[in-house]
Amino acid sequence: MIDLLLTRYNYVAVVLLLGVGTYMLIENANLVKKVIGMNVFQTGIFLFFITAAYAEGAGPPLVGHGGPYVSPLPHVLILTAIVVGVSLTAVALALVVRIYAEYGTLDEDVLREVRADE
Amino acid sequence: MTATLLEAAILVFVLGSAVTAALLRDVLGSIIAFAGYSLGIAILWVYLQAPDVALTEAAVGAGVTTVLFLLTIVRTVRPSGDRLLERVGWRGVLAAGAFSAVMLTTVSALPEVGDPTAPVTGGEVTQYYLENAYKETEVENAVTAVLAAYRGFDTLGEAVVVFAAGVSMLVVLRRGEFV
Repeated sequence: MIDLLLTRYNYVAVVLLLGVGTYMLIENANLVKKVIGMNVFQTGIFLFFITAAYAEGAGPPLVGHGGPYVSPLPHVLILTAIVVGVSLTAVALALVVRIYAEYGTLDEDVLREVRADE
Repeated sequence: MTATLLEAAILVFVLGSAVTAALLRDVLGSIIAFAGYSLGIAILWVYLQAPDVALTEAAVGAGVTTVLFLLTIVRTVRPSGDRLLERVGWRGVLAAGAFSAVMLTTVSALPEVGDPTAPVTGGEVTQYYLENAYKETEVENAVTAVLAAYRGFDTLGEAVVVFAAGVSMLVVLRRGEFV
């Protein structure tokens, strides 16, 4: 366990971030906080990719400035994923605003009751 | 490689602000904790030699996302009440804990952080991009070369996703009524 923390610390952080994200998605009743939880989960996965690209002593992948370099491919994938993640957040928050306009609440449990009464 | 003190401090800060965002009852406080979290993550990207990702995260993750959350708060409510923290739900702790425990069992099978012979960093694909990106595209930044040249269609798909998100936001918000 200590060995894991010393040599694979970033991956341990990834696991913990995924755990916090899952907790927020399940347990936070407020819809806005659920969206925050989704973002935390997402950045956990980003950390996994960027850590996989990292090599000790290597510089950023600017070719021609003397190697070694870290791997550019995971960086590209994560750049795309960040932008897609923001689009996802924007649509989710638009739905949250619309739900509030229709039902007057953002609490998951209250929302369930209101919908059951209809 | 073992973690330096700085990196360990950033990781602790990031994890701490994630937990703070999860537990604060006030949604505005939660959003502020999340903005701090994004900033910590951006610093971590710089530390992991990913300056392009760090810039995007700082501008888009910490900037645009926070603004979107704040705009949502303006149009909806902050839950009232005098409690500072939410009650910890054991159902969620159990589920998230079990999930993390299962994931943790795979960590020891991963290569060490910063291992230059790991499949990703020492692999064929990485070496191809690093050796040929400048020759074939004349772009010094290999990330830009892969993003715009080798995986250009991927980036086009990304633009389509952003467009679709914009359109669906207009549809959901019935433009003119809320915006």
